[in-house]
Parts: sequence; C-alpha cells; structure tokens
Amino acid sequence: MATANMKDVKRRIKSVESTRQITKAMELVASSKLRRAKERALAAQPFFAAVYDTMADVSRDHVFSSIYTKKEVLKTVLMVVIAGDRGLAGGFNSNILKLALEKANEHKANGYKVKLMTIGKKAVEYFKKRDFEVLDEYPGIAESLNVYDSLDIAENVIARFRLGEFDRVELVYTTFVSALTQEPVFLPVLPVKEMISGSGEKKSLMIYDPSPEEVFNGLIPQYISGILYAAIVDSFASEQAARRTAMESASDNADEMIANLSLMYNRARQGQITQELTEIASGSLRDE
Amino acid sequence: MTPFKLKIITPEKTFFDGETQQLIARTTAGNVGILAGHTPYAANLTASPLKVMQEDGSFRVAAVSAGMVKVRANECVVVASAIEWADEIDIERAKRSKEDAERRLKAQASQKEFERAEHKLKRALNRLTVSGGM
Repeated sequence: MATANMKDVKRRIKSVESTRQITKAMELVASSKLRRAKERALAAQPFFAAVYDTMADVSRDHVFSSIYTKKEVLKTVLMVVIAGDRGLAGGFNSNILKLALEKANEHKANGYKVKLMTIGKKAVEYFKKRDFEVLDEYPGIAESLNVYDSLDIAENVIARFRLGEFDRVELVYTTFVSALTQEPVFLPVLPVKEMISGSGEKKSLMIYDPSPEEVFNGLIPQYISGILYAAIVDSFASEQAARRTAMESASDNADEMIANLSLMYNRARQGQITQELTEIASGSLRDE
Repeated sequence: MTPFKLKIITPEKTFFDGETQQLIARTTAGNVGILAGHTPYAANLTASPLKVMQEDGSFRVAAVSAGMVKVRANECVVVASAIEWADEIDIERAKRSKEDAERRLKAQASQKEFERAEHKLKRALNRLTVSGGM
C-alpha cells in the first residue's frame, strides 16, 4: 500500500513543480513588462502636460464657446472601458469590469442611454455577454500601443460626439498606484468641464492663430488621444503589476505545497523502511 | 542668426530637445517661420513637413501628423501626436496605410468613416511626400 501512495505523492510533487515553473516564468515576464510600461507612462507625461496647459491658458484668457465645453443635455453616455487582454491577473479584470457595470447601471437607473467602447479582450467579452450596445471594440492593442492607435480611437470618439451620438464621454480604467495596489477609476472626459491649473501666468500676450476657439478645438483630438494613451498605458502597467502579485503568491503556494508533499513523501518512505526493518527483525527473532 | 530653444514632444518621447535658428511649420492658417525672439504664439499644425534649421544652415525635415506649435519666453515647443524625421520614415508602412485609407474612402461608408479615412490618407501622403517615397 505504501508504495502506491508514494508513487502518487511523487507524481503530485512533479505536477506542482511544473506549475510552479510556469507561474514563476509568468511572474518574471510580468515584472519586466511592468518596468517597460512604467517607462512609457512616464514618457507620455510632458506631452499631455503641454496640451493641457495650452487648453487651460486658452480657457482662462478668453471668453469663448466650444461644442466640447457646452452645457450638457444628458441623454446618452459613452463609456470607454479599458480592461486587460488576458486573465490570470488576480482581481484586475473583475475589479475594473465590476466598477464599469456599476456605473453603467447607475446611468440606466437615472434614465440615460449607455453606449460603450471597449479596449482589451476581457472588456469586449464581458459587455457583449450582457446586452450592452458596444459601438466599437479594440482588443489586443494595449501591449504594443502606439500613438496612431490612440489617435484613431480619439477621432472615432470625437466624430461620434460631434454627430450627437452621445453627449457625455466617460473613461473607466485602472490606475497604477504602486506595485501592490491598483485602483479602478472613473474619469469624465467630455464635455471638458472646467479647465483649471495652467502655469500661473496672468493675462498672457499669447497670439492664437487663427483664433483661440480654433486652437482649443484643434487640440481636442490631441487631448483625448493623450488621455486615452495615458490611461491605456496606465491600465497595462496595472495589469502587469496585478499579474506579478498573483503569480508571486501562486509560486509561494506551490512552494508550500511542494514542502508539504515532500514531508508526506519522506514520512511514507521512512514508514516503509521502518516496516521492513520490523519485518526483518521479527523474522529473525522467530528463527532463533 | 540667433539660436533659440526648441523642444519637440510626442506622447512616446521627447523627440528633439536642443537649439535651432529657424523653424518652419504649417499651421491651419498657413506657413509660419519662427525665429528667435518671436512673440508668444500658439497655433495648430496640420499634417505637413516641419523644417528645423541645423547649424550649417540647411534644414532637417520631419513629417508631423497633427499637433501644436507654441512660443513662449523665447522657447518654442512643438507638440505632435506623431513625428518622424524624413530619413527614418518607414516607407512601406506609410504606403500600406495610404492604400488602406484609399480603400476605406472608396467604400463610401458613413460621413464619419469618410472623414477618418481622409485624415488617415492625409497623414500617410504627408509621410510619403516628406520621405520622398512617392
């Protein structure tokens, strides 16, 4: 009996070991991807700051109206939801999708129509299953995101906004707080409510060519694509961090299991030896 | 000519950070040349070639997709969603996106699709013109 049990235990140790190898590898891959994603997120900062500052300057220095700042008559809301392309990242996908669903239901309860654009395979699958109107989906772009992708999405959003398909745009994504915490966040994007901040100068002598309105409106695609780019990169960094943590604890669990199983195996082996010894000893006693 | 500070920023990186004597850009209102001591100025750029004067007086040309040029306190900042030096443009890729845009234009889709395809075509054509791949 003991031999059969030992074989089983040995097989289990082997299978746990190979799982551990996979989780360990995924952990390493995730941490190197995380490093790159963090660098990209950092590199995008000055661009966004420059666009934002200019828009803030325009809105502070001039009285003007733009369709992007108009008072909203809220009928339809577009939610842009950013989630991951793959699973095995702990609570990353379920956390963000739960928040998105909650917000969407809140809008519905208030009598607004909800339309969606989804970035990441998991978000697409989730909302398609739940009978939401998904205008466009962008699966698999986060990892090798380039500016053209985010500009394309931004232009899509803006064109539909101008046509009046929706009068409010909100973004739901995960922001990277630290390697251990990632927070799902919700960010209204359009209409541009209030432009605060800016660089603190008083009335500037800035000449806007051809006019402040046109400069402001012309910057909107850059602004939206900047926000999208930053959010997608941020979300990707969060995904990697979540996966790294999940895989780290999976590897730890595997280690623990291996330790327990080895103990069991060694006990069974020792038990077998003891038994054999007793058998030999008792056999020799009888002979005497 | 007096040099002035020029910075070109994209979402991916700081593309250029240095000095130049003259910058020629195409805004929505027409071409502008910027020299040292320019008055504070802001304008949007269209998909066009952007010319940066080098030390020997010749221009280095880059294809800019869309963006903004801003002058303030003798410092010029160009913010571009995408920009590539003429010699670094991937001509094959530009040709592919041109063909893709043309196909979409022919598809006679909605107004929105049409506008997006038009933008894309403009960007692709600009890249091809600047790189001399036409």
